[in-house]
Amino acid sequence: MATPQKPGSVVQGTLDMLILKTLALEPMHGYGVGLRIEQISKGVFQVNAGSLFPAFRRLERQGWIRGEWRATENNRRAKYYMLTDAGRKKLKSEAREWQTQSAAIARILEATSGEV
Amino acid sequence: MRLVNIISGGLRALFGKQRVEQELDEELRCYMESAVEHKMREGMGREEAAREVRMEMGSREALKEQVREVGWETRIESFLQDLRYGLRMLRKNPSLTSVAVLALALGIGANTAMFSVIEAVLLRPLPYRDANEIVRVASTWDRNGTLTSYTSSPPDFFDWRDQNRSFSSMFAYHTGEFALTGQGEAKRVRAVMATAGMFSTLQAEPMLGREFAPEENRKGANHVVILSHSLWQAAFAGAADAIGKTIQLDSEPYTIIGVMPADFRFPLSGSDAFAPIGFDDKVMTQRGAHYLAVLGRLQSGVTLAQANDDLSAIMAQLRKLYPDKDGKWGVRAQLWSAALVSDIRPALLVLLGAVGLVALIACANISNLLLARATVRHRELAMRRALGAGRSRLVRQMLTEGLLLALLAGGASLLLAHWALVSIVHFGPADIPRLASVALNGPVLAFAMSMSIACALLFALIPALRSSALDAAGLLRMSMSPSREAGRLRGALLVGEVALSMMLLAGAGLLVRSFVGLSSLSPGFDPKSVLTMSIAVPDAHYKNSAALQSYWDQALTQLRSLPGVASVAAVTPLPLSGDDFSSSFRVEGRSVPEKDEPSAELRFASPDYFRTLAIPLRQGRAFAEADRLGAARVLLISETASRMFFPAGDAIGQKIKFGASGGYEKNEGEIVGVVGDVRHFGVDAPVPPTFYVPLAQSGMDSAAVVMRTQGFPAGLMQAARKVVQAIDRDALVGEPVPMETLVSASLGQRRFYMMLLGGFAALALILAAVGLYGVISYSVAQRTQEVGIRVALGASGSDVVAMVMRQGLRLAAVGLAIGLALALVLKSVLRGLLVGVSATDPATLAVTALVLLIVAVLASYVPARRAARVDPMVALRFD
Repeated sequence: MATPQKPGSVVQGTLDMLILKTLALEPMHGYGVGLRIEQISKGVFQVNAGSLFPAFRRLERQGWIRGEWRATENNRRAKYYMLTDAGRKKLKSEAREWQTQSAAIARILEATSGEV
Repeated sequence: MRLVNIISGGLRALFGKQRVEQELDEELRCYMESAVEHKMREGMGREEAAREVRMEMGSREALKEQVREVGWETRIESFLQDLRYGLRMLRKNPSLTSVAVLALALGIGANTAMFSVIEAVLLRPLPYRDANEIVRVASTWDRNGTLTSYTSSPPDFFDWRDQNRSFSSMFAYHTGEFALTGQGEAKRVRAVMATAGMFSTLQAEPMLGREFAPEENRKGANHVVILSHSLWQAAFAGAADAIGKTIQLDSEPYTIIGVMPADFRFPLSGSDAFAPIGFDDKVMTQRGAHYLAVLGRLQSGVTLAQANDDLSAIMAQLRKLYPDKDGKWGVRAQLWSAALVSDIRPALLVLLGAVGLVALIACANISNLLLARATVRHRELAMRRALGAGRSRLVRQMLTEGLLLALLAGGASLLLAHWALVSIVHFGPADIPRLASVALNGPVLAFAMSMSIACALLFALIPALRSSALDAAGLLRMSMSPSREAGRLRGALLVGEVALSMMLLAGAGLLVRSFVGLSSLSPGFDPKSVLTMSIAVPDAHYKNSAALQSYWDQALTQLRSLPGVASVAAVTPLPLSGDDFSSSFRVEGRSVPEKDEPSAELRFASPDYFRTLAIPLRQGRAFAEADRLGAARVLLISETASRMFFPAGDAIGQKIKFGASGGYEKNEGEIVGVVGDVRHFGVDAPVPPTFYVPLAQSGMDSAAVVMRTQGFPAGLMQAARKVVQAIDRDALVGEPVPMETLVSASLGQRRFYMMLLGGFAALALILAAVGLYGVISYSVAQRTQEVGIRVALGASGSDVVAMVMRQGLRLAAVGLAIGLALALVLKSVLRGLLVGVSATDPATLAVTALVLLIVAVLASYVPARRAARVDPMVALRFD
């Protein structure tokens, strides 16, 4: 499942969490998810279709999200993804894990010479 | 829950493939449109926005492939795809496919056949319940530091059985034969004489009737018999009321007390009847009489080492108690399954290693073919790479093709292995236990299957990794002009093939030379035109030794009068028959403690024996008709015995008294002559020191007649049997056998090993030749243009031939040199298999190298000739 990562794109593994988080706000179609991640991250993360769609398929298979065909605001049919209960649980645990880790990393990076 | 999701999602994708694909397609289109709209909102024109989105998304097919690869179902799908594709590739190249399949089938077939021999002889459990608890207990004799196993004496056996704490049961047995009489011609019954513990030790019971009782192991009480299933069927048509009936064995009545089940076999070579050993009252005094084989069953939880300690402690005690008889004897317990094959296992393992090399050569061969093809295929691979196939995808595809090839070969190899097994059963030596039971059974099929898969990995991996390491551009470049590196790799594989072939050929050559040397050895007598036939008369018909002797006189006289018979004699035991009789002895006038008494082989022979077999008389006189009962007891001694025991050359006139072993107690005699040595145990076995006793002074009830004939006249065999049967119809008369058959059978194992290794070496040679031919042909095809230019510039045909052959012979020479070095490794491997030949025998190595060189010359000459015929105009237009 090695999806090639271009420099500057989202770290493998965190993309799943970002998608889950985005979908936790509201059900969205594929392009919307990518756009939303880019907007919220103020352009730091640019998610291309090559990472996005395999991730959807992956998360769908795991049972964390499910898709549903709906009409868009422009009245076109699009596949909207939404979080399942399992996905919600997964997101919670992922977020907790991430916070613990990033806090730890931040502490290490901010350490002054005296502490090391 | 997650697992269910994963599986059902995969199944949906697999079976509702079209719908899933459609959805993905639609989703991507929707994504594109959204992206385009977004960009247009930011002020781009539709055209420009669409172009940019396409750029950003890259190849849609590649993207879809990435999405598909998320699920497990694509693995199956791509495997099926690879399979279909592989089949198409194999069909498209019938010549490559058939060469590869044939080469590999030979390699795997040889391995499968060899493995089935190993399976039947070494691996298959013995046919008894918990057979790994059954242990062979043997008396041992320390011969210059190496322990040799012997049969054991009844008193030793009783003491081991009664005093040990390691065995749940133990029994002793010996084999023999009975004449089944009372129903016309006497029939031979292979019998096991055993003590009562046999059934509990083997954990087998009669299907009808009962086992022996311990008290039936006494002389007089031992006339009961348990029949094998097949004898019961043959003699009683399987009637249940056979129990309690009486049959005549050696003209004595035996009561049938039981019938064994059909699948019971003991010993492994089979037998027809089981009777208790009838020990007489003097049995406890026969501590020196070693004639019993002993088997025991270990108590659960007791290790072999513990059992050995236990037995050794008992034996130490016995040595103290009976220093005269047991003073030099030890004891050893070995797993029975291991003891049965201890002298065969090393040879079979060497052969297994050799045949593994054949498979390696076959794999190298096919690897080479595939490498050559890979160069041609680089264009195709470049295309697939450019279309988005990842590296692992390409490796997988090429491995699948290899697997396909290997499985085809595996199937074909079973056919080859089947033929090999048929001939192994037919020609294999009789003295390898269970060799005749080789079969393509479950374990063997599993072996063939895993062998095929392993081969596929081996030969397909190198080309696959090499090709897939390159990106599309590199692959395309490679397809235009193959790199030097590829040529080097192919050359290296070929050198390896030649080297391994050289090693195998050298090994086979050494075995052949050793065998030829052994075959030309004289057994000590002249077997040509000599016929032999075993005769056993029922003791019950003959009151005493004189009566027995008159039987032999009569039989020999009758046989002598048959037309075409030049001379006739009787002897027991017959040389090369596998039977043997030895005894300790003492020389009158020399005082030696009983335990230090020397021992020698004993043969009982009629006067004409030496003349009939052309055994030379070296000193003194041979036996005469006058050496009979009542006359002075005389002996002859073999040259080796004379040298060993009478180094001063004063054997004649010495008086000898034989010990108690085998119940042959009262014999003594004066040496009257020295005769030539006979290789009783086989032409490849050491010459045993031997004494000869006149048959007429020993009262034997069985012996073999030997007849020197004038070229085996037709009908003599039947006539000989008839006249002997006419004298006593209850005598057991064997089928006449040419003595030369026995001589040849004594080398049976060696012939078998030689033929197997020779076969493997021949396969290796063929594979190496095919490999060399393939490499040179391919390189000639690659160099067509170059050759054309050379010819156009004035090179002659012979220049071209020389140029091409130089390339082939250079590779072969490097392989030969490495192979010669490897052949030196054979020294330790083949030591046990070679007699009279050094493992580094220069002549053998030289001949082997020459053979390989000739094959190499031929294999490169054919493509070289083809190169020389290249028309420069055609060549220059090439490509």
